[in-house]
Amino acid sequence: MKRNTQVLLALLASYALVPLLFGSNHYIMSMVVAALVIGGVALSWALLGNLGGMVSFGHSAFFGVGAYTSAIVSMKLGLPVPLSMLLGGLGAVVASAAMLPVLRLRGPYFALAILAYAHIFRILATEWKPVTGGAAGISNIPRLPELLGFDFGSKTGNYWVILSLVVVLAFAYQRIRKSHYGLALRAMHESEDATRVVGVNSTLLKALMLVVSAFMCGLVGAFNAHYINFLEPDYAFSSVWVTLPIVAAIFGGYRTLTGPVIGAVAVYLVDQLVFKAIMPSGHQLVLGLLLVAMVLLSPDGLLSIARNMTGRRHAAA
Amino acid sequence: MTELILQALYSGLLQGGSYALIALGLALVFGTMKVINLAHGELVLLAAYIAYSVESGLGWSPLLAIPLAMLVVCSTSVMVYLAVSRIQKDREINSLILTYGLGVMLTNLILLVWKADVHSTSSSWMQDAFVLGPFFSMNSEILFFGVSVLLMGGLWWWLARSWYGRAVRAVSSNRDAAKLMGINPRSTELVSFVVAGILATFAGVALFSYGVISPSYGGVLTIKAFVITVLAGIGSIPGVLVGALLLGVAEALTVTLASSALQDLVGMGLFLLVLFVMPNGLFGAKRRRG
Amino acid sequence: MKNSYKNLGLVALIACAGSWSSLHAEELLVGVEVPLTGTLARVGGGMHEGILVAAEVFNKTSKHKIKVISIDDESSPAKAVAAVEKLASQGVLAITGGYGSNNIAPASDAASKLGLAYVTSGGVDDSLVSSGHKNFFRINNTAGYQKAMVGLLGDMKAKSVSIVYSSKEATSSLAREVQKTLTAQGATVASHEFDPAITDFKPIINKIKLQDKSEFIAMVGYENDYVGILRAARVLKPNVKAIVGVWSLATSKMAADFPDLMPNVYGTAFLPYPAEFKSADGKAFNDAYQKLYQKEPDYLGQFGYVQATLLFEAMARSADKGTLKKNGVIDELNKTDRQTLIGRVKFGANGDNPFFSHRMGQHQNGKVVIVWPKEEATGKASFPGVPW
Repeated sequence: MKRNTQVLLALLASYALVPLLFGSNHYIMSMVVAALVIGGVALSWALLGNLGGMVSFGHSAFFGVGAYTSAIVSMKLGLPVPLSMLLGGLGAVVASAAMLPVLRLRGPYFALAILAYAHIFRILATEWKPVTGGAAGISNIPRLPELLGFDFGSKTGNYWVILSLVVVLAFAYQRIRKSHYGLALRAMHESEDATRVVGVNSTLLKALMLVVSAFMCGLVGAFNAHYINFLEPDYAFSSVWVTLPIVAAIFGGYRTLTGPVIGAVAVYLVDQLVFKAIMPSGHQLVLGLLLVAMVLLSPDGLLSIARNMTGRRHAAA
Repeated sequence: MTELILQALYSGLLQGGSYALIALGLALVFGTMKVINLAHGELVLLAAYIAYSVESGLGWSPLLAIPLAMLVVCSTSVMVYLAVSRIQKDREINSLILTYGLGVMLTNLILLVWKADVHSTSSSWMQDAFVLGPFFSMNSEILFFGVSVLLMGGLWWWLARSWYGRAVRAVSSNRDAAKLMGINPRSTELVSFVVAGILATFAGVALFSYGVISPSYGGVLTIKAFVITVLAGIGSIPGVLVGALLLGVAEALTVTLASSALQDLVGMGLFLLVLFVMPNGLFGAKRRRG
Repeated sequence: MKNSYKNLGLVALIACAGSWSSLHAEELLVGVEVPLTGTLARVGGGMHEGILVAAEVFNKTSKHKIKVISIDDESSPAKAVAAVEKLASQGVLAITGGYGSNNIAPASDAASKLGLAYVTSGGVDDSLVSSGHKNFFRINNTAGYQKAMVGLLGDMKAKSVSIVYSSKEATSSLAREVQKTLTAQGATVASHEFDPAITDFKPIINKIKLQDKSEFIAMVGYENDYVGILRAARVLKPNVKAIVGVWSLATSKMAADFPDLMPNVYGTAFLPYPAEFKSADGKAFNDAYQKLYQKEPDYLGQFGYVQATLLFEAMARSADKGTLKKNGVIDELNKTDRQTLIGRVKFGANGDNPFFSHRMGQHQNGKVVIVWPKEEATGKASFPGVPW
């Protein structure tokens, strides 16, 4: 019960308190929205890692495909933005279908094969000029619409949308984890051979997780396209969408549900508000250092340190 | 057209030789420790920048920068090893992330020290043409192709004949058995990182001599090196040369026959193709895929 | 009673006097949003230097003092927007900087929402001037480069040209324009696009040598591309009369770093090297630049200097008229019309500078000589001529 109350309070604070306190400070809101975008990608990355057992270095592929699909569909076909975003997620799913053959590969091979796909999609986006606008990219992408008299395209509106998106994704992640799929996946991590013997189709499960992770990441990418209103291949498929989510997830604890999002917000905000102020041109170095330190000192992330400090034990994901 | 293709093949081969230099260090460490050092590209880049500093500061040929570069790069490589060896669990994945973080740190260090300008050698000799019949190349390309082949030969001899070299092979094939035979796996792994540093040094000086460097180039190098390592298959040194040559030629042919925009695509495509069809690489030892 | 009225009056007078004098000594805050890290660090840094030099020079001669606040946008659109917003919250009166249309578009958008002028020299994309924003101003565009390149090639009576260009947006749009104009003039044009990641240009140059057999090579790319192309050309020795490039080529840095690749190569340049500054403005620029950075200014610094100086002057005029809070800066920018280091600048209704036309320089004996247009030439072109 206590957990649920905590969650509810946190949600209340996020939805109501943040806009109340910072709503007029566009700068802080921009940071928070950007951090939540990273958080969303981090969540999808962690889902693939935890439930699918696969570490990916190429989530920028799903992010970019989702962004482009949504932008193109909303501009060329004139579809309303929310629908376009969903189609963006589906676009990322189609992209993941192309990656299915890679599922058989082990650890680092899979991670880097996905990276290869990200490169390929970026080149596709640059070369397929009639559809994607080539290297020039797409500009004036429509913003989120006005609904029920509230302009969701405003800073606060955008904030609520991405916050809701992240909450929904986290919820979905939670449901999958608790479902019998989740159980099967966890068993699979222990021993893939044993689960196969019992009749669990591990490849199918892994494929499903890839699809889910791709959909989530694509949705977030689509949101970002309608938030920034400009897209080009180098930005959509930038390695930023690979690095920062991984740092965030590791930092926050990628085995937990809230870890990636909290990690994203913490890392992004601290980096932009604190490190950047102290070291205007070297602060990305600190990010790398953070990653290194995290892996060496606490591979389970910041939250596990926090939990250990408060003496609470939490069952492993 | 034939002339074009022949020249493309020639250029591709030379470029492949240099690629092999870049990939060797990564392949060696991967073979020994099953660790992919994602900071390897930055080590190569570091050597290249030291060559630049030596050339622009002292006016010497970049070749003379090799001793200093070796010192710096090997020390850095050892630091990477020390960090990686501290990892307790999930070494494969955690080392990936760790070396990735180290790579980010190195890239930003390079940016802080040398700023963002692009650099390359200004030595006339390096850039002069070397004409072999109908084939054209720069002196630097021929030179470092030769260096690459020599180093590869040396490495192969070292692995086959010297004590440390054989220890490295023993540890990579069976760590526990090697321990039983009196080999200290930790010092062997350290040695492999040092050797990787030496290889990276030559690769970096070569890069400065025939190509253009900038701080963001480290990541590109690491990816190329990894693609070649996969093409080669784990544990095969000659495989790295063949894989690198293959990549170089494929890229040159793509640029000549199709569009240069597809050059990157070819590398990625080849990479994926090998992963699907021959996951053990062209020459790799048989391993479980699952 | 009378005394307190007198006192009140005195206080009021002093208050007025205080605000009057502060109006004259006020610091004008200017926000600079540029990439200092990331992929655009090199060009952003160059522009930044020019802007800081402009502030230095301006403050020496004006009664208004400019204070610059710079924020690194890390070559990222989201951070560019955030930088603009942060600067706005710190009370800047206008924004200058910006590089890369993908960063400038959202950033100038954000500035527009905040009512701030946005002055740049780093974005050539057409969409920047066609989105209807009243706050956007740029001092250069693709057309200016195209005029220079085509002008030079026309004067050299080029009948067959091979264009080698990077697939990035700025370079490919320029290459397309050049191709269109040259073809309309009756020349045979072959285009070769290359990916920015290419390092070995021999295959492309070989195609030009063996298939195109053009008399001229036109290159549109960045420093690393030029080095690669010229190296390949030097090795393969195609039979051409001249090699012409655009930005980042006819510079002292290239002459110093690559003395074997540059002889007789043409590139865009406003000033010869060693720089001969005829105007007082130019001399002040050069001196301040040397003092601050101990090196020759390059085209990035020149652009940064001009964009910033025009902005500062507009801000000063607006401050004098007291219209700073009432869109004054934008109004004054619209009234700008003067000769600068880069020629005449007057902003059109869409914020573009239609008078922008570059000049071509040629590397000769380690120096850069302006050779086109004839009115601005400081020397004769060495033609035909190649680096080998």
